[in-house]
Amino acid sequence: MLLVVVACWETCEAPRDAAAIPGDKAWQKAADVVRASYQPGDLIVFAPDWVDPVGRLHLGDLITIDDAARMDAARYGRIWELSILDARSPETKGMAAAASQDVADVTVRLFTRTPVTVVSDIRAALPTAKVEGPARPTLELAEVGFAPHRCIQIVPPPKSSIRITFPQLPLGSELVGYVGLADVFTRRSPRGPGKLAVEIGGEQVAQATAGVDDGWVRFSAPTTPGSADVTFIASADDANRLICFAAEARR
Amino acid sequence: MKWQWRPSQRAIVGWALALVTVLAVLANQRDVGIARDETVYFSAGTRYADWWIGLVTFDHGISGKSINDTFGGAPGGNNNSEHPPLIKTAMGLSHWLLFRKLHVTDELTAYRVPGALLAGLLVLLVYSMTLAVWGFPEAVIAALCTLLLPRALFHAGLACFDAPIMTLWFATIYAYWRCLDDRKWPWQVGVVFGLALATKHNAMLLPFALGVHYLVIAWRAGKWRGLIHHKPRVVLSLAVIAPLTLVLLWPWLWLSPISHIKQWLSFHLTHVHYNFEYLGDNWNAPRFPWHVALVTTLFTVPVATLAAACAGASVLVVRWRRGESADHERAPALLLGLSMAASIGPFFLGSTPIFGAEKHWMPALPTICIAAGVGAGWAARQAADYARALRPMSETLARRVAFAIVGGSIVLASGTETVAAQPYALSWYNTLAGEAPGGADLGMNRQFWGVAARGVLPFLSYQFPTKTYWHDASPAAGWYQRLGLIRGFPHSGQEQPGIDASNLAMVIHEKHFNRHDYMIWKAYGTVRPVFVLRTEGVPIVTVYKRPVPLTGR
Repeated sequence: MLLVVVACWETCEAPRDAAAIPGDKAWQKAADVVRASYQPGDLIVFAPDWVDPVGRLHLGDLITIDDAARMDAARYGRIWELSILDARSPETKGMAAAASQDVADVTVRLFTRTPVTVVSDIRAALPTAKVEGPARPTLELAEVGFAPHRCIQIVPPPKSSIRITFPQLPLGSELVGYVGLADVFTRRSPRGPGKLAVEIGGEQVAQATAGVDDGWVRFSAPTTPGSADVTFIASADDANRLICFAAEARR
Repeated sequence: MKWQWRPSQRAIVGWALALVTVLAVLANQRDVGIARDETVYFSAGTRYADWWIGLVTFDHGISGKSINDTFGGAPGGNNNSEHPPLIKTAMGLSHWLLFRKLHVTDELTAYRVPGALLAGLLVLLVYSMTLAVWGFPEAVIAALCTLLLPRALFHAGLACFDAPIMTLWFATIYAYWRCLDDRKWPWQVGVVFGLALATKHNAMLLPFALGVHYLVIAWRAGKWRGLIHHKPRVVLSLAVIAPLTLVLLWPWLWLSPISHIKQWLSFHLTHVHYNFEYLGDNWNAPRFPWHVALVTTLFTVPVATLAAACAGASVLVVRWRRGESADHERAPALLLGLSMAASIGPFFLGSTPIFGAEKHWMPALPTICIAAGVGAGWAARQAADYARALRPMSETLARRVAFAIVGGSIVLASGTETVAAQPYALSWYNTLAGEAPGGADLGMNRQFWGVAARGVLPFLSYQFPTKTYWHDASPAAGWYQRLGLIRGFPHSGQEQPGIDASNLAMVIHEKHFNRHDYMIWKAYGTVRPVFVLRTEGVPIVTVYKRPVPLTGR
């Protein structure tokens, strides 16, 4: 009897599961809701993450590459979340929606908050950076932890370090950054981590280690408002570690 | 219960099920894209077949040069010497006969016919063994469960070796079991095992199953003396005829056989670990989770089949403990259990490559399906007895109705899953996982080998022909052109240079391929795709179009 129940459940449930995902018409309606109230500078995210290509198909013109490859979402005051199957985006975790609407099985939520004020972004300041060591950093759109990130990439020689100094970088009350290893194929072998240390005025204030499976690793340090030389020291024991990092000084 | 069918009628049922399987595979493969490695086997198979045809028609003799030119070279090279030749040769001969000579199929189907025929053979063998040991209704249900395995049906439609080795593996099991009768010359098992060895290296694991089984039944038959005297000719057949068959079918082994066998096996023992997504993580280096094979099987076999198999396995264990096992002397249930263990066991080690997931341990599936037949049969008999206790009726009627309900419901469930899975069965997961969306939520692998690209051909046909970045489907792109499925979308090259030179670009979604999206964003200056191919709502291929086309492309 139990076998028959299981079989009947599967017979009924399989088509229902398969048909549970909204199609393009639903997404178009949801996109129309977003477009009606969208403001430049808004962030648009989709949940679950695997539906992201469908979301970008309908709203991709409102998402810049830098939005998609953001360091994190702290600088966004308004976040639109379009979700299906009751999923939530990590970008809106712990936030309460200011508005929510179910549009043909796509849930459209608007989250608002006071965004952080970015005093300086090292990615923008890269042309002014001084580099000590045998490798040169580049600004890349890289895959780190299987997600897109606009970051400064440096490949230090094995068992050595590269120092990248941003002279007189404007600082706020906190320096927040992320580091990870780019490129899944170079992460496969060797398996050693990449390391990043941060010095302000010659004193180490933060450090982070990014292993091959760690993704985009956050680090932060309190800072004194003003300007100071900020140095990022990238090192690795293994060859071919594509260390990618980004950081913002926040008020 | 006595089913009033003559043996000949039962045989017809088996052949009919086999025929339905062949037709189902052939019909299904028409919508299945071309896998990256199929293109390698097409060309290798054509060369192998031409060599054999040339040999038997006296166009050429046997020379070291012609063998090396056709079959030789380092594993991983153009002649695909890392895989034995049987199935490739069959594909080539099928292409020669059905396409080049008779013109009865298109080229792609011609290459895929041997796989379809072997899928039919598997169903026939599963039916035959189950019929011989456990009975007719069990055999029908087991055969239908084998036919209605969504992933296996998909793989059977590809011109690859994974479905064929499932058949040849099980054929070896079946032949071995049959040869344990009192026949004087059990050559058949040696030949079939040789064919399995000539199909894929998985067959190297078969001796673990056969060896342990032989030791058990020989010990039972005569303790220490039995180990030597029980069925020595079966052992001899496996040890002598099988390798001879392999060598006979593989001309490359006619030259330096030991060295070439070493090269063949060491290629697989040191195989690179491709990227593969499992439970949300990308795996490309050991140690892999020990439960990959368990969980993947749990999610890629219809739930009803699994439930029936659990019931069947329990029934077989209980009968064994009671001393009521069928065919006690040849112990078929033990043999099937060992077959499954040998097939799937290496994937619990954490070091065996997992990148092909279920296709690598598909020889375990016939055991599951036969157990499902036994379980369904047992459940139907229990239900019939219960119904008769409630209301007087004939035993025959009660059991026929019970078998129809239990077997029919299992087959219906499996059939529903199988239909839902096609033609993108690599993205399909069963209801327990929540189908394709559930699989995506769980972070299970969605595609591999670029097969899904076929689904974007209708979209491309509405675009202006231009250089196209075909991503993982680049080896298949030329074949889609050759088959007339698309015209004028040449592959623009690999990786970033290829994307930079393209006006259209696609990404076939696997976790480690996310980087291709980002490379396209960078080149095209937009994150917005123009088309997203989905199965059950889950994206499997995304197509981008350069907003301002490159001139002269």
